[in-house]
Amino acid sequence: MTQYAETLGEMLARRGFGRRSLLKFAIVMTSSLALPPGMAPVMAANLAKAKRQSVIWLSFQKCTGCLETLLRSSAPTIDALIFDFISLDYQESLMASAGTAAELTLRQAVAANPGEYLLAIDGSVPLKDGGVYSLTGGRSNVSMLEEFASGAKAILAIGTCAAYGGIPKAHPNPTGAAGVEDVISGKPIVNIPGCPPVPEVLSGVLVYFVSFGRLPDLDDRKRPLAYFGTTIHDQCYRRPFYDQGKFAKSFDDEGARQGWCLFELGCKGPTTHNACASLKWNNGTSFPIESGHGCIGCSEPDFWDQGSFYTSLAGGSATGWRNAGIAAAIGLAGGAAAALSARSKSSVPPEEKI
Amino acid sequence: MRDFNFLADDILVDALLAEIAGLLQIFLDDGVSGSIDLLGLPLSASCLAALEQQLGKGEITAVLTAAGTSEFRETSFPGVWWSSHADETGRIVAMLIEVAAVPEILLAAQEDMRRGHKRLLEATLVNKYRKRA
Repeated sequence: MTQYAETLGEMLARRGFGRRSLLKFAIVMTSSLALPPGMAPVMAANLAKAKRQSVIWLSFQKCTGCLETLLRSSAPTIDALIFDFISLDYQESLMASAGTAAELTLRQAVAANPGEYLLAIDGSVPLKDGGVYSLTGGRSNVSMLEEFASGAKAILAIGTCAAYGGIPKAHPNPTGAAGVEDVISGKPIVNIPGCPPVPEVLSGVLVYFVSFGRLPDLDDRKRPLAYFGTTIHDQCYRRPFYDQGKFAKSFDDEGARQGWCLFELGCKGPTTHNACASLKWNNGTSFPIESGHGCIGCSEPDFWDQGSFYTSLAGGSATGWRNAGIAAAIGLAGGAAAALSARSKSSVPPEEKI
Repeated sequence: MRDFNFLADDILVDALLAEIAGLLQIFLDDGVSGSIDLLGLPLSASCLAALEQQLGKGEITAVLTAAGTSEFRETSFPGVWWSSHADETGRIVAMLIEVAAVPEILLAAQEDMRRGHKRLLEATLVNKYRKRA
């Protein structure tokens, strides 16, 4: 069904895109993926030679918010090029067919790309009572996951539900909800948590996979390091106020109006790893803290059971959290210098790091 | 705190200038181009402005129109380019310091030139008459 003889370079050329467009796309993606900028020509060359990547997307126990946010991200930006690089061969919420015709489409997509397709999952996997709490065509999610994971090259767990169980797993977890990695072993898995996840993170992971044939470097929770390597707090534009000990005490006090740190109002930025503060939302418009609300930590495991969103990480009293400005300024400069060293590289790609 | 911010800016700009000098030395010695991803660094707007001022403006500015507008400005240091890439909405999506004779993206690619050559031949009168015949 899905045999792509044409390379991406040929397809883009046929549609009037020159090499410069592809190289510009690669420059943007290497920056997004925190790769050395000298890797951009290598990525562009690899993309030009690559064939479209088959993606099979299964939806389990979820609210469809993850899919919604990814669809809404298709603004007329350079990121839209990602849709030329994949072939979404099965997604039951988007495809026109239904019932047995949809099931046939799924079988054909799997048969056409054995061992080569990417399996994308959104939603948690209910395990209690044989997985009876979420069925598709009479089959349990766990049964489908086990079958289709076996023929996949890698698995993308999209959203906090697929990554860690998410809200369905919240106490008392009536369906026995679990994340993909709790069910599947022996397959490369990347978690892209968030409720919903940042769309550009999925784009980055897909482009990396198509370019280099493997998943990007991951942290100990299987999240791409490029996007989850630092906390929201570390990248937050309100961080200088934290370092100066300036905190909003309520959502309508003078500190809130001055844009001071929201730590004492329950912001979970210091313990949350995600890219919201750098990539932002709605095509770079803002992110929750910029809109005046603290981070709720939605990309971390069990975030729903970590107490109130409005209780500070210090337990409601933040007197011990005020830092000295001098130490902060020196720390900031030192950290930036270290980052500078890591981010500037020769244009000769370090192959061993691919 | 203001003074500390200024101090941090000075330290960062100095570190960047040293890094750029190092990349230029590599290019002069080995012909290997290099670049620094400015958006990937925790630089404040004031720090970027200070760096831009230190580097100054050179003789060439080139504009690329592909999936949005990109601008390549040679700084007052020949071979050191300030490159900024915007998407179709005008949002800056990448900003680099490039050290090269010319940023690679400005060079016409062989495959694009071949396609252009083919279109050029097809556009000639001789070819058009041949097709009619």
